[in-house]
Amino acid sequence: MDLNLAAFERFAVNFPKGDIIFSEYEPGENFYLIQSGRVQITKIMGEIEKTIDILYPGEVFGEMAILEEAPRSASAIAQDQVKALEFNRANFEILMKGNPQIALKLLRLFTKRIYDQRRRLMILTLDDLQAKIADVFLMLNEGQTQQTSAGDEREFDVTMDDVAHWAGVSSEKAKEVLSHFVTQHRLDVLPNKIVVQNINELARFVNARRKQ
Amino acid sequence: MPKAMNYKSNSVIYFRGDVSDRIFILKSGRVSLSSNDIETGQEVHEYIQTGEFFGVKSALGKYPREEDAVVLADSECVMFSVPEFEQLVSTNTRIIMKMLKVFSNQLRRIHVKVRNLLDSDEQGDSEVGLFRIGEYYLKKKQYNQAIYVLRRYIHHYPNGKLVADAKRQLSQAEDYAQKYGIGKGPSIQTAASTSTTASRSSLNADGAGGLTDMGQVYYNAVSIFSQQKYSDALREFKKIAEQSTDNEYSLKAMYEIGRCLFSMKQLEPAIRHFTGLIQKYPKIPELNDALYYIGRCYQDLGDRNRAASFYKKILSLPAVDEGTERKVKQAIRLLEAG
Repeated sequence: MDLNLAAFERFAVNFPKGDIIFSEYEPGENFYLIQSGRVQITKIMGEIEKTIDILYPGEVFGEMAILEEAPRSASAIAQDQVKALEFNRANFEILMKGNPQIALKLLRLFTKRIYDQRRRLMILTLDDLQAKIADVFLMLNEGQTQQTSAGDEREFDVTMDDVAHWAGVSSEKAKEVLSHFVTQHRLDVLPNKIVVQNINELARFVNARRKQ
Repeated sequence: MPKAMNYKSNSVIYFRGDVSDRIFILKSGRVSLSSNDIETGQEVHEYIQTGEFFGVKSALGKYPREEDAVVLADSECVMFSVPEFEQLVSTNTRIIMKMLKVFSNQLRRIHVKVRNLLDSDEQGDSEVGLFRIGEYYLKKKQYNQAIYVLRRYIHHYPNGKLVADAKRQLSQAEDYAQKYGIGKGPSIQTAASTSTTASRSSLNADGAGGLTDMGQVYYNAVSIFSQQKYSDALREFKKIAEQSTDNEYSLKAMYEIGRCLFSMKQLEPAIRHFTGLIQKYPKIPELNDALYYIGRCYQDLGDRNRAASFYKKILSLPAVDEGTERKVKQAIRLLEAG
């Protein structure tokens, strides 16, 4: 990558392995560009701390702080000794101007965020609770492009709580619908994954319930 | 190579659902993007301005197109592949910055919609949420993480409802970390987190805090300015410009001082101020706007020649964004008409 970062040494910050860079729910002020080491993005769901992503040098995180000082939606933890450049809303334009590659990276990141949020909105705007739950699997399926999709069966590494989270409904409601789907042989719920028997059938089910 | 494309009226450049890595810029004619609003399902149209890019998000992300690009009158476009587009904008970060602004606005709007549709449980309350994260780590005997989070809680919510609990848990975490070490020690009684979820709205208001001190003063002054209390705003911006060791905010404040003077009709002082600022910092991001205000000042003082020369100066600069260009061109038209 063609980055001109020597001038930004004054923005460098170091985190020892295991340190929290920021915590979920903390007001977000800064965003970071990793220079060395890995950063683990986690979220505490119920009694489990779940890893959502692992980021490598050259990647940006905490970028939502550029938009607004909304609370962080996940925690960032140094998985190694991490060196990162720390920016805020006031000085990020300076970084961007000298580094179109980073600006482009951010543009792509925003593109992805907009797409993901629009997709989430499509789930949330469904009125039918069953359709909401089913649409979560369609969304997850769209994200798994690399899967060699032989046949209609799909496996997802998610729990019932994850599905409830994506559908924006309580765990109880999600469990109820998922159990109903199980009795209909639409899916199987295993401890750490859920298997959809026929993803195309599920797509038809959802599309029939979406406003056109 | 980017390719010039001609489209007849009523033709379609792309359909929703198409997957393609082509990005377009409208050179002339009229193009509309038609899509269905996610919430209502209603058809919405967005008209592309001449000089505007379209198809960017879907091409960059390799997502299906979200809209039909319909040609309303014979049009000429330039078509780029993603690498061609990237090469083009790499040499002009201003375009990227502008797109980042457009995208971030879209993102912010969609965020609000998502948030409104989520159960209030899911939304949670960031004060209590942060405290609970600290509590979680403490329970798991991950004392270092607990110490970090609890300290942040106390920092962000010095008068928070859970601050007494947070302080107690913090000293406990520090104590146990030393006495027993990470992952060890007796299990910890976590406190009253159930009795404290009250008064969400007031907590959310707090959650918006957290800027640096100077940032807070600056944005406060901006808000005073937007209430049209110009002399109060002027006083605040002067304080920032004088006191701030933070170059970011002092520069921003200096620019704002000029705007205050202009808004207070102190035209000659405003001209002197902006001129001094530009001489001292010829590369400030607000250069175009500063020149524009100087032009406006001269115009209001009745010096049309000077006003016109400043406006034209802006248009001659290499990187003028469309908004400024439109604004300046209109000012010139008005000047010539008057």
